[in-house]
Amino acid sequence: MIELRAQPAPAAAGSTWERFEALYRDARDDVYAYVATLLRDPAAAEDVTALAFERAYRRRATFDRRRGVERAWLFGIARNAALDELRRRRRTAALAADPEDVDAGSVADGAEVALRRTAVRAALSGLSGREREIVALKFHGGLTNGEIGRVLGISETAAGSLLFRTIEKLRRACDATS
Amino acid sequence: MRRAEPLEPEVEAALEAIDATLAGEPVDPEHAELAELSLILQAERPAVPESFAATMDARVGDRFGSGAERTSALRLVWRRLWRPGFGPGWLAPAGAMAAVVAVIVVLVSVTGGGGGSRPLSFSAANAGSASSSAGGSAGAKAASTAHGSNQLSPSQPKAPAAPVPRNPLGRQIVQGARLSLSTRPSRIGSISQRVFAVIGSEKGYVASSSVTATGHPDSSATFALSVPSSNLQETLTRLSQLPGASVVSSTITSRDITGAVGGAGRRLAEARALRRSLLQQLASAYTTDQINALKARIARVDKTIDRDNAALTTLHRRVRYSRIELTLQGSTPPVGHRHGNGGGFTLGRAVHDAVHVLVIAAGVLLIALAVAIPVGLVAALVSWLWLRARRKAREAALDRV
Repeated sequence: MIELRAQPAPAAAGSTWERFEALYRDARDDVYAYVATLLRDPAAAEDVTALAFERAYRRRATFDRRRGVERAWLFGIARNAALDELRRRRRTAALAADPEDVDAGSVADGAEVALRRTAVRAALSGLSGREREIVALKFHGGLTNGEIGRVLGISETAAGSLLFRTIEKLRRACDATS
Repeated sequence: MRRAEPLEPEVEAALEAIDATLAGEPVDPEHAELAELSLILQAERPAVPESFAATMDARVGDRFGSGAERTSALRLVWRRLWRPGFGPGWLAPAGAMAAVVAVIVVLVSVTGGGGGSRPLSFSAANAGSASSSAGGSAGAKAASTAHGSNQLSPSQPKAPAAPVPRNPLGRQIVQGARLSLSTRPSRIGSISQRVFAVIGSEKGYVASSSVTATGHPDSSATFALSVPSSNLQETLTRLSQLPGASVVSSTITSRDITGAVGGAGRRLAEARALRRSLLQQLASAYTTDQINALKARIARVDKTIDRDNAALTTLHRRVRYSRIELTLQGSTPPVGHRHGNGGGFTLGRAVHDAVHVLVIAAGVLLIALAVAIPVGLVAALVSWLWLRARRKAREAALDRV
């Protein structure tokens, strides 16, 4: 059973701290999921997520609403922290471990769905870093195309176009696997 | 951001289907496969470990401990100034810098740059300097000049004339002075009378004078004055303090003529000795030719003695009396200076001081900008290059994954 998550709007009013706290409650899991997908290392993802929120907390007074919503701003911070982590560790495409698959072999899933998920995982691992990032931002971070554009520094149209190409690539890879 | 180009309808429809799927809304059967993929991708979302979530909740509840709050009060103020809602980002620091510069300028103006403690209304230049040289040898001639220069400002207090160099013991010094005063055109006549009075009381005399009192700015007066050298300083002081007039400039000159005086004295003594010798020769002369020749020589020596005596007398008179060239110029005082010549506070002076401070502040700000702008540009360029390099490095790290 796949659970759909609602996207609560960040608090528009209140003090800086209250806004940050609401942002944290709203985006903690999303940021972790995005970073974990990008780094493919749960332990590093925890460190980077914590670092991103701490940086966001310190810079909370500098947030400019005119430059976008807070989620995009937060994901931008998280992205920089994750990329710095990648640089620091000089990670290559061959990573030691993928995220832990807690649902692997779930009895509740049908065989066809399980097969399909396995194919998707295999296709995901074949994506480039940039492609996997946009999948993470969209499906794990829950960002809109406009927010993805702001995080990546591209237009909403370009973000949509990149997302479409990545999904098409995934579909083709899945079909080939099947 | 790159310039947005319209998406193709097929792409746009697919993206809308993805969004609809993630929002839990039904999608067109045409996009069923895409919706399924979207749901699977969403289900692949890594879950936050409970232990990490609890740790993060605690850290956030603690506001990341004291580490995140290590910012000093000054830094917080600075951040508030930089807060985007406060205004343009550069305005706050620029304003702060301008305020600091303004404070420095005011302090410098009030204290006179550390060189004096006069009130601001009297801050116009009034530098006086004097130097003298008496010459090292008897025959050497030396001249010295002392200048006192004042900006034209009738509201200034009476600036003293440049000091008269002291006369070293036994030296023969010829002194002179040029004094330029400014006053309202209507007061040229009355001040000229005061000049005559001052010279008279100082036992001097007016060698020549020319007074043109029309009541207009072209009114002026010039005086050639002569006063005993011992009274020169006092005379200049009194002239520079005449009510209603202000010193525009003053110049004092001195020249050591000890050598010239000594030379004239020696020549006179030699001529007199020669005359005495000739008179003795005349007393013992026998022939008419000898007597006539000696008389002729004595006559020539007498002329020489007269000439040397006159020269020596002239030199002595030049030493005893000093010449003063006084110029009195009529001028209309600027607005704000027509309220008398006292040292009290007036609105006009306050305005003048304010304008003065602003002019200095503008000058200092200009200089500061001349330094700050190139430095800022270089810093901005370096910062931009650094940020760009960092961004490239980050993107490269992503490409390597």
